[in-house]
Amino acid sequence: MAADEKKKELLERLRNAVIQYDEDAAKEASREVLDVGMDANDAIFNGLVSGMEEVGRLFEAQEYFVPELLMCADALYAGLDILKPHVKQLDLGVRGSVVIGTVEGDVHDIGKNIVKMMFDVAGFTVYDLGRDVPLDKFVEEQLRTDSDLVCLSAMMTTTMTGMKKVIDDLRTKNPNVKIMIGGAPVSADIAEKWGADGYAKDANNALKDAINMISSLKKLKEEAEARKK
Amino acid sequence: MSITTMTAKERIMKLFAGEEVDRPPCFSGMGNVTTEGLKSLGYKFAASHLDAKMMADAASTTYKLFGFECGVVPFDLCVEAEALGCEINVYAHSEDLLYPTIKKKLIHKEDEMEISLPSGFQEKGRIPLVCEAIGLMKKDIGGDVPIGTYVLGPFTLAGQIMELNDLLKLSFKKPDKVGKLLALLADAIVMVAGQFQKAGIDYITVREMGATSDVLSPRVFKNLIQPYLKKIFDRLTVPSVLHICGKTNDIVPFMMETGAKAISVDQKNDVAESRKKLGKDALIFGNYDPYNVLVAGTPEMVKETMKKCMDDGVSAVWPGCDIWPTVPAENIRTMMDEVKKYRR
Repeated sequence: MAADEKKKELLERLRNAVIQYDEDAAKEASREVLDVGMDANDAIFNGLVSGMEEVGRLFEAQEYFVPELLMCADALYAGLDILKPHVKQLDLGVRGSVVIGTVEGDVHDIGKNIVKMMFDVAGFTVYDLGRDVPLDKFVEEQLRTDSDLVCLSAMMTTTMTGMKKVIDDLRTKNPNVKIMIGGAPVSADIAEKWGADGYAKDANNALKDAINMISSLKKLKEEAEARKK
Repeated sequence: MSITTMTAKERIMKLFAGEEVDRPPCFSGMGNVTTEGLKSLGYKFAASHLDAKMMADAASTTYKLFGFECGVVPFDLCVEAEALGCEINVYAHSEDLLYPTIKKKLIHKEDEMEISLPSGFQEKGRIPLVCEAIGLMKKDIGGDVPIGTYVLGPFTLAGQIMELNDLLKLSFKKPDKVGKLLALLADAIVMVAGQFQKAGIDYITVREMGATSDVLSPRVFKNLIQPYLKKIFDRLTVPSVLHICGKTNDIVPFMMETGAKAISVDQKNDVAESRKKLGKDALIFGNYDPYNVLVAGTPEMVKETMKKCMDDGVSAVWPGCDIWPTVPAENIRTMMDEVKKYRR
């Protein structure tokens, strides 16, 4: 019983550390998780990620804005850095690797970094190409790593058209790859017109979409397992 | 003089002066060079950022080919940062339409934030080149249309010379430190604007898109950023516009309080509501989507959008951002026709 209570307390502390963007508290609680022999995976998903989901809600409600979101992300990473080495490779039923970057001409990477964080959390292998990435590089990297997902980001109207080229090129060379695009000027219409599989409107929606994508991947995996039985 | 013979320039200058005009003008304070225009001159986009004559020629074509009611230089957002000492990339090698970006930042960590302006700052980088382009355009089309330019707002400029990630977090954790940097950048911006004013511009737009409510809370905007915008608008001598894109309905009163003659908002603003909030005399410029409507939309969609902007009560029909160069000629002509025949 005592162990259960301790576990509950630690999850709550991890969650609050993320919501209150308290890096030190996140580190301290993560170390305790390891000390008491709690499952690191449980701590990440039901502590840190649960906190980040609340952050997403606060962002949506316009109680939090991007600076708060970035500080919460720092707290999440502070905990994740300690916990991650103790997690067995997550098998989400897909290969779990993603190529991500901001397209050439665009040097904004906050939205991209937040999506990247969610993939890090989910145990994906992330090939982060950074920002201002030459368009050919996305295709090259996808082919090199055989990643399942390519995420393209652009913050400006003046750079987003580069995405279409990357999508066309990827589709020709590898029809099975999933493509997600995001950034302020992008719309659902554009995503559909250009043939992307997913679309995230802004940092907030990118976060939500990334969470949704991970949940739906988890669901796929559960369904696949259910069919096996 | 009869009202129907108003030139675009008269119409826009009267509008800024608070006088009555026959119809909303259709112009912009941001980049509006088109691929059609570049093609008509045989110019490459990448080259137009580095040559005053090419810049002026290219900028003038949007008026000459389509009757767009202004001439605006430059086309990119790196002029001030470059003059402050950042290295820029114009993608000279690329065949694609790429706007110059900052290659190397000036401030890499928090303790490097106490910078000072380089001596002779107002003559650095491409500031003289843009001034020359303004002069050339003024001679060429300045009798018919107003000549405009833009500068960045202090927060947006700060986001160019240092990591935006750090700037955003520090604006929360250490607002005093950020405030000090913004004060210096506000001075720098006034100096750049002063050069452009001397070169003969008719109006100027201050682009503070980094401080949109998509990113920062209205409270941080009011406390940390608005004071420095006020300092800038206090010291500008030509009619001025404050542009902020994204969700702006909560901050339009703060935008107006900066002392800008007009505010510019994009398609995410509910202009009918802003109009109610700010009253009938406030100059609100906006608010069509320059990509999804003007470039990717059908002429029918362009018509509907222009009508909606004017029905909602914009004082000038004006894009939410730079116009993406590949705009089809038919769409831009449709836009001009729709605005010209509109009567309130």
